[in-house]
Amino acid sequence: MMNQEIKTTPTVKNGGRLFRNDVIFIVALLLVVSALGLCFYFFRGEGDKVVVTVDGKEFGTYSLAEDVKVEIRTGAQNEEVNVLVIRDGLAYMETATCPDGICADHKPISREGESIVCLPHKVVITVYATEEEDAPDIVV
Amino acid sequence: MKKRIVRCLLIVIMLLQSMGMVGCKTKTEKYSTYSFDYFDTVTTITGYAESQEEFDEIAEGVLAELAEYHKLFTIYHRYEGLENLCTVNETVDGEHRTVTVDRRIIDMLLYAREMYDKTDGTVNIAMGSVLSVWHDYRTEGIDEPWSAKLPPMEKLTEAAKHTDINQMVIDEAACTVTLTDPAMKLDVGAIAKGYAVEMAARSLEEKGISGYVINVGGNVRTVGVKGDGENWLVGIENPEEDGGQAYLAYLELSGESLVTSGSYQRYYVVDGKRYHHIIDPETLFPSEGYVSVSVVCKSSADGDALSTALFCMEFEEGLALVESLPDAEAMWVLPDGTKKESSGFANYKKETTK
Ligand SMILES: [Zn+2]
Repeated sequence: MMNQEIKTTPTVKNGGRLFRNDVIFIVALLLVVSALGLCFYFFRGEGDKVVVTVDGKEFGTYSLAEDVKVEIRTGAQNEEVNVLVIRDGLAYMETATCPDGICADHKPISREGESIVCLPHKVVITVYATEEEDAPDIVV
Repeated sequence: MKKRIVRCLLIVIMLLQSMGMVGCKTKTEKYSTYSFDYFDTVTTITGYAESQEEFDEIAEGVLAELAEYHKLFTIYHRYEGLENLCTVNETVDGEHRTVTVDRRIIDMLLYAREMYDKTDGTVNIAMGSVLSVWHDYRTEGIDEPWSAKLPPMEKLTEAAKHTDINQMVIDEAACTVTLTDPAMKLDVGAIAKGYAVEMAARSLEEKGISGYVINVGGNVRTVGVKGDGENWLVGIENPEEDGGQAYLAYLELSGESLVTSGSYQRYYVVDGKRYHHIIDPETLFPSEGYVSVSVVCKSSADGDALSTALFCMEFEEGLALVESLPDAEAMWVLPDGTKKESSGFANYKKETTK
């Protein structure tokens, strides 16, 4: 222990400069860490998702990459229906029994933050595109 | 040797820390919640918090405040033991009562009067009689689309005789409001949402909270910047499915409001034609000049009132109004897709390929 301490003291005395080995060690460590970071960055997302909420509570989550048709039934007797369709990476309300039909008029969505709202049925469909760069926080 | 390794590790950690990759800085995550309970629209609260619990507590506080304003400002519901705009609009034996109301109602009405003057009468909360005719026809038309009708002009012009804002008498000291024209009604639809959002946002600011966005039916108010210190990126949806631009504009906000009034937000269909909800006080019909008007300014109350006013104004006139206000900017979208902007609107725009 004592020996080692004595060995390292000179570096500090030499203006505190680092040995070449130190630099190599630091660079290697940085490389390892950033490689890990990159892996983490690329594999963190499960892909683009469509989240459906009814009156603020989550109804279901669907992958934007898989074609699917979802019947969103709401109301006391499940008598209110919105049909969500995901096709070719686009999500849209195919039909809805709501009186105003505004949700079914809405264009298909696919980008982070975009949503379709059915006010009468309290249904919100939102896209979470995890890997989109410069994605908006809010879309209005 | 051991000491050397420790020293190297320390240097690496310091380097990483300066790059923001590791550290004791507490990590915040983005949360959001929806509600359908206020102002007949959807409310979204988005925020950065350290935990779901922390977010829920703040979001619930905001929702509770919005709930109070909703109860005070609604003209469609009365609540046991509460005087609100619904009871102000009521008549007893053909006359309006002098109603003692919550101070917050007085403050909002005074603000509305101020905006009436600023917009040369385009934003007029005394238009209730006209708007209620439209409201009834729209509601019926939505419920029974096969028999959807437009209100007859005679009905609208008759109602328009009772829209003089000077017949709204306010006694500030006594906190009372009286409508002296028995046929007049208040409708604060062009102001209430934005006003309530602004009040809720200021409450957060007073508590030193930042990193939140309150969005009530397109009345967006950012509170501070994001959790990571970056500006909020806000896209204004392109309602057209033209395959081109996803957003009409892509903005960077840090504490400002963005309010969009759009013809596509609420409408009903008569004989295959859409009739939206923003009624021009001159023509008494939905204004047809624009697809949407977006306003960026500090206060969401100003944004709400201004976007409604600009929607009903000629472009030149509206532009002059915006340029006369120190901190307001606007973007108009015309039916042919043309976009026009006030001089400083571009300052908020972020370059993007989207
Ligand atoms: Zn719907």
